[in-house]
Amino acid sequence: MTPETELRSEALNSALAFVQTRIKLRPKAALILGSGLGQLADKIENAVSIPFTEIPGFARSTAGGHRGELVIGIFAAQPVVAMAGRLHRYEGHSNDDVAFPVHVMRQLGADVLVASNAAGGVNPKLCVGDIVILQDSLDWMRGPYQFLRANRPANESPSRRGETYDESLAEAALRCSHKNGFAAYFGTYLATLGPTYETRAEYRMMRRLGVDVVGMSTVPEVLAARELGMRVLALSMVSNVARPDEFVIANHEEVLTAGRAAAVKMEAIVRDVFAKL
Amino acid sequence: MLDLYDKIQDACEFIRKQFPTAPRAGIILGTGLGGLVGDIEIEATIEYGDIPHFPKSTATSHRGRLVCGKLSGVPVVAMEGRFHMYEGYPLKQITLPVRVFKELGAELLIVSNACGGLNPYFRSGDIMVIEDQINLLGDNPLIGINDDRLGPRFPDMCEPYNQQLVDMTLAIARREGINAHKGVFVAVAGPNLETRAEYRFLRTIGADVVGMSTVPETIVAVHCGLKVVGLSVVTDMCLPDALKPANVEDIIAIANSAEPKLRTLVRGIVAEAGHIRVA
Repeated sequence: MTPETELRSEALNSALAFVQTRIKLRPKAALILGSGLGQLADKIENAVSIPFTEIPGFARSTAGGHRGELVIGIFAAQPVVAMAGRLHRYEGHSNDDVAFPVHVMRQLGADVLVASNAAGGVNPKLCVGDIVILQDSLDWMRGPYQFLRANRPANESPSRRGETYDESLAEAALRCSHKNGFAAYFGTYLATLGPTYETRAEYRMMRRLGVDVVGMSTVPEVLAARELGMRVLALSMVSNVARPDEFVIANHEEVLTAGRAAAVKMEAIVRDVFAKL
Repeated sequence: MLDLYDKIQDACEFIRKQFPTAPRAGIILGTGLGGLVGDIEIEATIEYGDIPHFPKSTATSHRGRLVCGKLSGVPVVAMEGRFHMYEGYPLKQITLPVRVFKELGAELLIVSNACGGLNPYFRSGDIMVIEDQINLLGDNPLIGINDDRLGPRFPDMCEPYNQQLVDMTLAIARREGINAHKGVFVAVAGPNLETRAEYRFLRTIGADVVGMSTVPETIVAVHCGLKVVGLSVVTDMCLPDALKPANVEDIIAIANSAEPKLRTLVRGIVAEAGHIRVA
């Protein structure tokens, strides 16, 4: 173990001890409430909120519009631990920084992770406000996962361990969309470093590569969760649709309206999935 | 942590002592393309090593000085020699000169490079006006806490190169009888050249030329609100099914021989864009 991973191990123990003194329940599921699911934090019952800045080992979030709190309580009759706001690579954080809260949530007891994000639609079939249920992802963020690697049992290789995104959770999400009559598709998410949005040439490239949605988050947390043996459901809300062949400036009002509608869809999915845990 | 702003001020203060005029344009001269400084009525030359916070360029045939003066009667600041990711510099440091141009008063950035041609209709020695770009550097100069004084957190990249200036540049090329293309530049980190499989891949994803620079400077120019014109000089053709080993001396020789065309274009762009306001 390098001095850095050793420090992080100690931070993990301190973070656990700190959070456990504040809560009584043992969360079964973890939630990462990115853009699109932020409002869900307010619907957690008997909630205990702890700002990231108070938890040992948590990096500081600098992204606007992200709250930066760990919220523990009951949602849809399940004990949950939720991140209201997340950390991003474009803020300068490492993969280990971004994934650290997942280690904490896992050790608190969560064995399911539901992560949400707002993403750009690359596949031309997508409309603003559609939900994409991640079936696979491409990691173009690069960078090592030293802490994760250091925690892996010595003789275990970084195997694929079956699918990254849990098939039965994804199926449940799709059925929810049928039941409620909104559009949701399985798809592939491409994670870029950001913070620049894509050029038209980059959108064309991504289409050719088979990407459905592109964003700047989620993959580090998901990879960590899988390594730690959690089942993962990840949802993208399509916040804009790339039109590389047509010069359009995004209509912000439209995006906000679609965002609010998509939030309702995402919440319905989370409730349905939790009901079957 | 937000020390970039102060670094820009330090560098500008130093440059203004020797060149008090506000430049209209900043120019970055790529590998083998430094000859343009011969057209500048030089008022000051400043070694990079003397400018606070500037790195020193270590690349082949790069001089490493800032040339300040008038080109086509328009005040400009030109970098003779640029910095590359493969030299080991962080992208924030590589792009510091762009922010300095902006702070000195420039509205326009003209960036040039020597590149490999992927589009089979191009020929060695041709010029391509960059229409769009793909970033495959695996890095971005804007990572870290955003300083809102310098630009937005999430810059839109739907038009990194000003389309009006692309059209204007192509019109100048036609008028001067220069064979200029329009296309997509892809940036890779280097320093090794690409394998045949990688050339096929880059062509498949939609790139017309490939190089190891320019994208970081353009991203930062978009971030801080400079209009950008990008000019690529095709110094060797990278056709995967008829690939010959690249020779750096040959590449620099081609760049040098194509350089007069680049000069003509840059002089024309500065003369036209330097006197008109671009919307």
